Amino acid sequence: MSSRGGKQKKGNVTSEQEEEEQPLQAVLVADSFNRRFFPISKDQPRALLPLGNVAMIDYTLEFLTSTGVQETFVFCCWMSNKIKDHLLKSKWCRPTSPNVVHIITSDLYRSLGDVLRDVDAKNLVRNDFILVYGDVVSNIDVSQALQEHRHRRKVDKNISVMTMVFKESSPGHKSRCEEDDVIVAMDSKSKRVLHYQKTQGLKKLQFPMNIFQHGSDEFEIRHDLLDCHISICSPQVAELFTDNFDYQTRNDFVRGILVNEEILGNQIHLYVTQDGYGARVSNLQMYDSVSSDMVRRWVYPLTPEANFTDQQGQGCTHSRHNVYRGAEVSLGHGSQMEENVLIGRDTSIGANCHISNSVIGNNCTIGDNVVLDRAHMWNNVHISSNVEIHQSVVCDGAVVKEAVHLNKQCVLAYNVVIGPNLSLPDGTVVSMHHPEEEEEDDDDEFLSDDQEVGHSKDKTRQKAFNPAEVGPEGKGYIWKASMNDTEDEELAQCLWGLVLNPDPESDSESEASEESQDRSRSVSPEIDDVNAFQLEVLGTLQRGLEENIVCDNLVLEINSLKYAYNITLKEVMQILTRVVLEYPFQQQGTQLTTLQYTGSLLPLLKTWSPVFKNYIKRAQDHLDCLSAVEELFLEQDTHQTAMVKVLMKMYQLEILEEEAILKWFSTGATNDKSRQLRKNQGLQKFIQWLKEAEDESSEEGE
Amino acid sequence: MPGADKEADLTERIEAFLADLKRGGCGTGPIRGSGETARETTALLRKVTAQARWSSAGDLMEIIRKEGRRMTAAQPSETTVGNMVLRVLKIIREEYARSRGSSEETDQQESLHKLQHFVHLKANVIEAINELLTELDGTTDNIAMQALEHIHSNEVIMTVGRSRTVEAFLKDAARKRKFHVIVAECAPFCQGHEMATNLSKASIETTVIADAAIFAVMSRVNKVIIGTQTVLANGGLRAVNGTHTVALAARHHSTPLIVCAPMFKLSPQFPNEEDTFHKFVSPHEVLPFTEGEILSKVNVHCPVFDYVPPELITLFISNIGGNAPSYIYRLMSELYHPEDHDL
Repeated sequence: MSSRGGKQKKGNVTSEQEEEEQPLQAVLVADSFNRRFFPISKDQPRALLPLGNVAMIDYTLEFLTSTGVQETFVFCCWMSNKIKDHLLKSKWCRPTSPNVVHIITSDLYRSLGDVLRDVDAKNLVRNDFILVYGDVVSNIDVSQALQEHRHRRKVDKNISVMTMVFKESSPGHKSRCEEDDVIVAMDSKSKRVLHYQKTQGLKKLQFPMNIFQHGSDEFEIRHDLLDCHISICSPQVAELFTDNFDYQTRNDFVRGILVNEEILGNQIHLYVTQDGYGARVSNLQMYDSVSSDMVRRWVYPLTPEANFTDQQGQGCTHSRHNVYRGAEVSLGHGSQMEENVLIGRDTSIGANCHISNSVIGNNCTIGDNVVLDRAHMWNNVHISSNVEIHQSVVCDGAVVKEAVHLNKQCVLAYNVVIGPNLSLPDGTVVSMHHPEEEEEDDDDEFLSDDQEVGHSKDKTRQKAFNPAEVGPEGKGYIWKASMNDTEDEELAQCLWGLVLNPDPESDSESEASEESQDRSRSVSPEIDDVNAFQLEVLGTLQRGLEENIVCDNLVLEINSLKYAYNITLKEVMQILTRVVLEYPFQQQGTQLTTLQYTGSLLPLLKTWSPVFKNYIKRAQDHLDCLSAVEELFLEQDTHQTAMVKVLMKMYQLEILEEEAILKWFSTGATNDKSRQLRKNQGLQKFIQWLKEAEDESSEEGE
Repeated sequence: MPGADKEADLTERIEAFLADLKRGGCGTGPIRGSGETARETTALLRKVTAQARWSSAGDLMEIIRKEGRRMTAAQPSETTVGNMVLRVLKIIREEYARSRGSSEETDQQESLHKLQHFVHLKANVIEAINELLTELDGTTDNIAMQALEHIHSNEVIMTVGRSRTVEAFLKDAARKRKFHVIVAECAPFCQGHEMATNLSKASIETTVIADAAIFAVMSRVNKVIIGTQTVLANGGLRAVNGTHTVALAARHHSTPLIVCAPMFKLSPQFPNEEDTFHKFVSPHEVLPFTEGEILSKVNVHCPVFDYVPPELITLFISNIGGNAPSYIYRLMSELYHPEDHDL
């Protein structure tokens, strides 16, 4: 320990004395806050899923310890007991461990934001800390990044709040996950992040001009970066999360900081490394590639034979072509382990098997004539003879009977039995959890696990297995990700995530339809965002009305929504206007008479006028608002007479100015319909009246 | 209880050392020289001897063996650790025999475990380990001192990669003689570049060549002087990648091949297809991770060591003088007790 401490101190000899004395801290979030690994993570939290026969959280802790972290806070939520048990048994909790691990559990964490707010509330961090997820596999030496971060903090007084660690890797790299693909604009000299955007599904990228107008004269726009999900944060980060309760993820945070950069003066920096390895296992696609990278020794010295978790009997030997064998492995006559194979202890393999690019856990039995390619088998798996498995995951305790054929991207969750004589199509997911039970306990996904298990057992007894799906002796249900509403769809897309280069041979029906769905969704993400934003605004206003929330708070909420969905101010105003004007229809149906409509709308306008005033300030805003009003009434042509009343009310409430209305009236007409609208008698009268009022007031003024 | 404190401190030190060994050498070979590793191991074993609870030589040996097994398992390619454990075991045997006043090995065998208190045994063992440490400190100097016997004026000398011992050896010779050194760069880690920089700083005429040019240049070379990671029991070497190429080229041109290897690199291990013999590190240096798509289509390996068979080696220069490869077995039996060969 002493030597490591020394190394760390050497890094910042010049920095302040107090900083040196404080141990380096880390916050490890052992929860993904999404259901990407369902149904596997229904039985086991993601951080404990084995990667190369070692739980993923152990990689993360080893990474932290080797970079010199001396105190780690592990935050768990989903199945926190299991994580706790695992950690207490591991070497991290031994008294000699140089890295003191504190486990903090709560069922209330729903996002990274909640965790960091709790960090702030409990005052856990005193200095710069490293923020990682429990599924990050890395051997990057972040001390360089840390040093740069501290230097920056010292030079310009706490302006830099976060340094994100990226690894260089060109597009098309198999360890790059499309969901995490980012494009970053940065200042080449100061390494400051100017713009940060996820590129998933975007065909066009837009960069605000203003980012290029100040600062230094050299910029880089980079798309060759792999997000390692390792960030070095200053304690301010936790405070900022507390101040902005709408920040849920690091993405929100980064975007928020960048948008408010001029106001708050906080900056985010970037550290790009070429050495080392760092990736987050965010879906099964990534699981597959990280696992294969690990077996191919990219993460050296975190290799299977190093046994860095220091567990008894976990060691294995490494021989040519990256074949790793644990203790007591038996291999039948004529079986071949071709390359990149890892076999856990006490596993026996029958005769004439072909194994390549696979990871096999402890205590597995494999029959004769089995072909395994890119298979990930966890512990206690039984595979009978004549089975073929391609690029699939087989979880603990699963049984695959004779002559079963698993095609690409299949998943057999815990304790499933499949076969005999069956071929599962591409992308089949079989689980002991019935998909319908999922819908029922949709809301309480964060229930404690024992409750959950009891729950599911009852269910499984009630429903029979379908032999056509899982074979005559099979046990388990085909898992279909619930596609109830748009939000869920987003999360449950597919266990394997998006494939970067869709395999040419994977043109089976299900795959194809899945892809086309993805496409259609991804082509127009802005529309989706706008729609979602509109719904959110509606919800906010509704709630505001029911619970009598002060308008200032409504403004705050709408503002935060604006950042969350990346909506421009102009759109906010138009959407707000639209939502308010449609509100009576929403509440009471579209068959309202004009009279009823105005009757219910006018009081609403009055209550919400502060909200409007907040957004409508400049002359252009007035025009935008008016055009939104116009647009709505063009659609609702039966209620055109109500328009005058609305405009009148808005004028009276001083939301709109008369000049703006007049200007709109005289110039706004662009097509026949709007010209038609302007010929409306009521409107004409209203304008007339306005003009007179103006004349009068100007006369008075003279 | 101060005793418990001490023990906790000891285990902490050992754990830290183990962790360092495991993480040691991210890609470019060991961060520390093997000399330093040897010294650290010995110092740690001295601490174990001083602080662990034991009442007989047998107990102590058992403790040392146990810790030794863990240390060697942590980084099997780092053989110096195991060698130092064997040396300490040998020291305990000798001290024990001396304290009984007999040097007969046979009758020591039986009573090793029955042994009662010998008041001075602990002090003597620690004393002997201190001597070993002094010996370790002087190894490089001892080897460098012999340089003038081997390097003559206006010779052309080839070396490969970077070895601290060879560097000291050449620098020592350069104080009196003028000669030319050709350094093979030793891809993919290219430690040869560093070596060349250090040599030219000591105003030695130095040329760096690519590994592919080794054979072509060899005809001009008078002598090849290399370092090694381990000297194996049969007199062969486990040395950095590229050494075998140099040795074969030297044999073809009948150029003498001299290996500078301190005694602590002498290992009782034989070359075989045993899995711990090889060490593969991250393939990053061979094909950078940034390459993108190609990585999913190829398998990249990055081995660190070469095996050089003993018949290609002319002479070993160790801190106790020069020896032929065929004499290694004899040195082995002097350094280590045959009973200890497997921990």
